[in-house]
Amino acid sequence: MTVRVGQTADPAVRVIQLARTYGSGPQAVTALGGVDADFHRGTFTAVMGPSGSGKSTLLQTAAGLDRPSSGQVWIGDQELSRLSETKLTKLRRSRIGFVFQAFNLIGALTVEENIHLPLRLSGVRPDAAWLRQVVERVGLADRLHHRPAELSGGQQQRVAIARALAMRPEVIFCDEPTGALDTQTAADVLALLRSVVDDAQQTVIMVTHDPVAASYADRVMVLADGRIVRDMPQPGAEQIAEQLAWLGRRQLVTQES
Amino acid sequence: MLMLALRMLRHRIGSAVATLVALTCGVMILMSMGVMVESGMRFTPEPQRYGAADILVADRDMTIETTEFGETSTVTVDLPAGGSVPVTLAERIGQLPGVAVAAADRSIQAVVPIDETAQGALGHGWSSAALTPYRIVDGDQPDTTDEVAVDVRLASAAGGQLRPGDQVPVLAAGSVQQYRISGIVDRTAAGDQPPALFFTDDHAAALSGSPDRAGLIGIVLAAGADPAAVTAEVDRLAAESGATVHTGTERAGLEQSEALMAADMLIQLGSVLGGYVAGLVMFVVAGTIGLAVRHRRRDLALLRAVAATPGQVRLLVVAEVAQLAIVAVVLGIPAGLWATDWVHRQLMDRGFIPHGFPFDGGVLTAVAVSVATVVVAVSAALIAARRTVRIRPTEALGEIAVEPARSSVLRLVAGLIALGGGVTLTMFTTALRGQAGLSAALGMLFVFVLAAALLAPWINRYAAQLLGPVLRAVWGDSGYLAAANLRANAQGMATVLTALVLSVGFGGSIWFLQDNLDRQAIAQTRDGTLAQHTLMSAVGLPASAAADARELPGVVAATPIRRTSVILPVMGGAEPFGAQAIDPDGADRTMDLSVTDGSLADLRGDTVALSNLQAATLGADLGDQVEIWLGDGTPVTLRLVAIYERGLAFGDVTLNRETVDGHTPTNLDDEVLIRTEPGNAEAVAGLAGLVERYPGSGLIDTGAVGAQLATDLALSAWMNKLVIGVMVGYAALAAANTMIMAALTRSRELALLRLVGVTTRQVKRMVHAEQVGLLGTSLLIGGAIATVTLVSVVRMMTGQLVPYVPPLGWISIIGGTTLLALVTTIAPISALLRTPPVNSIGVKE
Repeated sequence: MTVRVGQTADPAVRVIQLARTYGSGPQAVTALGGVDADFHRGTFTAVMGPSGSGKSTLLQTAAGLDRPSSGQVWIGDQELSRLSETKLTKLRRSRIGFVFQAFNLIGALTVEENIHLPLRLSGVRPDAAWLRQVVERVGLADRLHHRPAELSGGQQQRVAIARALAMRPEVIFCDEPTGALDTQTAADVLALLRSVVDDAQQTVIMVTHDPVAASYADRVMVLADGRIVRDMPQPGAEQIAEQLAWLGRRQLVTQES
Repeated sequence: MLMLALRMLRHRIGSAVATLVALTCGVMILMSMGVMVESGMRFTPEPQRYGAADILVADRDMTIETTEFGETSTVTVDLPAGGSVPVTLAERIGQLPGVAVAAADRSIQAVVPIDETAQGALGHGWSSAALTPYRIVDGDQPDTTDEVAVDVRLASAAGGQLRPGDQVPVLAAGSVQQYRISGIVDRTAAGDQPPALFFTDDHAAALSGSPDRAGLIGIVLAAGADPAAVTAEVDRLAAESGATVHTGTERAGLEQSEALMAADMLIQLGSVLGGYVAGLVMFVVAGTIGLAVRHRRRDLALLRAVAATPGQVRLLVVAEVAQLAIVAVVLGIPAGLWATDWVHRQLMDRGFIPHGFPFDGGVLTAVAVSVATVVVAVSAALIAARRTVRIRPTEALGEIAVEPARSSVLRLVAGLIALGGGVTLTMFTTALRGQAGLSAALGMLFVFVLAAALLAPWINRYAAQLLGPVLRAVWGDSGYLAAANLRANAQGMATVLTALVLSVGFGGSIWFLQDNLDRQAIAQTRDGTLAQHTLMSAVGLPASAAADARELPGVVAATPIRRTSVILPVMGGAEPFGAQAIDPDGADRTMDLSVTDGSLADLRGDTVALSNLQAATLGADLGDQVEIWLGDGTPVTLRLVAIYERGLAFGDVTLNRETVDGHTPTNLDDEVLIRTEPGNAEAVAGLAGLVERYPGSGLIDTGAVGAQLATDLALSAWMNKLVIGVMVGYAALAAANTMIMAALTRSRELALLRLVGVTTRQVKRMVHAEQVGLLGTSLLIGGAIATVTLVSVVRMMTGQLVPYVPPLGWISIIGGTTLLALVTTIAPISALLRTPPVNSIGVKE
């Protein structure tokens, strides 16, 4: 069931019957088995589920990093599955931001160069004012000329977010952005994401397994076995935790029987 | 993009340095070889002896028709003895309008004893004086048979004792004669030609032994004559006698000069070995760059994930490599010029080229080498990047280092074809001597190494499986890990294996090949020469010398030998081969050719004896008729009467002196082998008397001749060894490069092992075990390739089944490779192991 939250307009991201299977023959693994979802502009969605539920796969295919086995992915008014690698990359670069869980940055470049990388590669002239704002937002104004090796995990994540924001994308995908961070830094990063949604009308889709992180979102989508099982507006951290636990028990029961 | 490329290069300094080193050394080597070849090709000397002759007519080569595989083709072969033209042609040319002088030129080896020394000189007929030109500075030209005009250089060497009217003894055509000096002559130009003596034309003709024919005809044009018209007329006349016309820069090629031979040698060396050197350099550069790109997979995958299109990633890789290539060119070309300088001096010091031979040019070579290097480097990068740009960006998210998919079937098939090709080559290597033999062996080696390179991943995998139990037994748990690593890294270690196999293969085969052939030649000479003395002369010995020697008391046998060349059909063409013309009377007592079929005693009339190698090549059996050409191009059909084994020492072809009489420049023998009864003092005294009777001759102990041969062979081997040494060194450098690169990328893997519970000591043992496994495999395969190459070539050329490898050779190959492998891996690994594992675990490779 779909829920409309926030401003109505055509969705920033839409997936239709998205399926992804790895391998072939008897060892084929179905990561996604036909998922339909709309993500609207200016919303913060948390995608959750036990491991193997296909949440990372959903994110990667929706962001154009991977090709689905079948189904469609729409970013705004552009359908992705027909595009060539080059066109896909160009679209990704200008309209999608992606933050990985780890290893986000090019070790050879400074923080500033890492943030500018998508701009430089697409040949777009950087908007200095916007970039200054972004750097202020992530709180790294004094670390601009350091290398990633000199930063902590949380600082590296913030650089990655800054890089994602630099191109003013339509949507930002985050894959477990706070997974490797301590609670304080995680809270900072999540607050940053929240503010970006609230102040700049960004769309953020975040995969997480942490109910506290999910509590920052407007909408929580739960996957299991490659399908959506729950899709609800922000219910609060405890409710989410209960949902996940129930899900886990259900899986245990299914296994035992 | 360029900036990005530069930054990423600086970050991954290890692989950048490795690539740079490989490229720079490659540029240096190619530059050296290129300048040598360019110098040889640019060498266009001015004619010295024939400076005043506008047109030269000579018959220097021969065209023959051969039928091979049903197709008829014509082949032109340079006549080793130079060929000759009829003297009547000179007379006819002399009558053409516009011709001032048409002289039939002859060169007669002569010796003028001055004080206690013997001065070498060349004798000519007086009409040849106009060709240089030589002018009279004192006295007059020779008019009678016993008059001679003497070069001013000889006169000054005698300290002014030679003046017109004096008597001077001249040793020529095997005998000494007294001449009256009619005048002193001098030439206008300088040069390194030997001093000249001018007899009358008739006397020179008589001395030369073939009065009707001359080496060449020199023509001086009259003033105001039209060169083109006269040349055309001369050409018409010459063509009737089968001779060719030479003008302009071609004239210098007709002079015998050290410098020309040096130029020829340089060009030959460059073209024969240069091709292989270039191939090796390209191979190593491609492998190093391919490996460097492979190690950057994760970096490039991240770039793809972030923002870079496949085209941009390709461009990045190419930009990196292009930058490195340019730096390599900038560093390598000056280094190459320095190396060329060193080689130049070495060649001059060792007498390969005459002093003052110019090594110039270099600009053309520099441009060619730069372009070639950049093209090869960029192509290698593109090929390596091709795989990389197809990886999904999601690979960047993967936690483990990803080993790309298995090698294509195409590679496997290509590798097997190469292997088959190598085996076929081994079976079909035909009898090729000297430089050609060396290049054939190199070719076989390359094909085998190519097969090893293509099949490397499979070799690694199966070797790991086979070695698994051994490694486990010796190193325990470390061995278990090592075996697993070898199996898993089969793909990545392919380049390392190839580089090691290349070094071992080269070092083990070609290096020792030269030694083997030389040893065989020396051994055959030593064993086959039964005579104790050799009578030699700089000006040749007449037939009476051998006859006189036989009559001496205590002399068992004396065999005169004339060294000449013959032209044999080879593989659809024809090549000159060295031959000896002997008097078979008693020859089996002075020389033991190790005759296997027939007998030397039958060598009378139109007969020939061949080495077993030549007999096999020509497909001739005892009693067959063999068609060959003598040194001056005369075709002869001879019956094969003997086949012998000691071809390396005595030449592939042994003829009867009568067969070559009249077809060699002089009818004189080069040496006489004399065997005496051992311990007979009378014989020795008698021989001394023989020497006196033939002035200009000397008696030499045959043992000393053998020693001289050894020295000469060692000298000429130096050149080949230098080139091979450079190639082996470069291959070893490539191996070292790739091993260091591979070692440095393992920081995370080693950190993980240590965190899991493997101690530092166990990690080191694991690396040792891996290296032993890799080393063992490459020594085995490289050794097998080297053995096959060496054995087959040595057996082909000498009949020996077991090639000679000095013990030091074994030790240095095995020891050197082991040292290389250990130092280039253990050292970087030890450096990596010093950082605490917790710090390295978070860093990507």
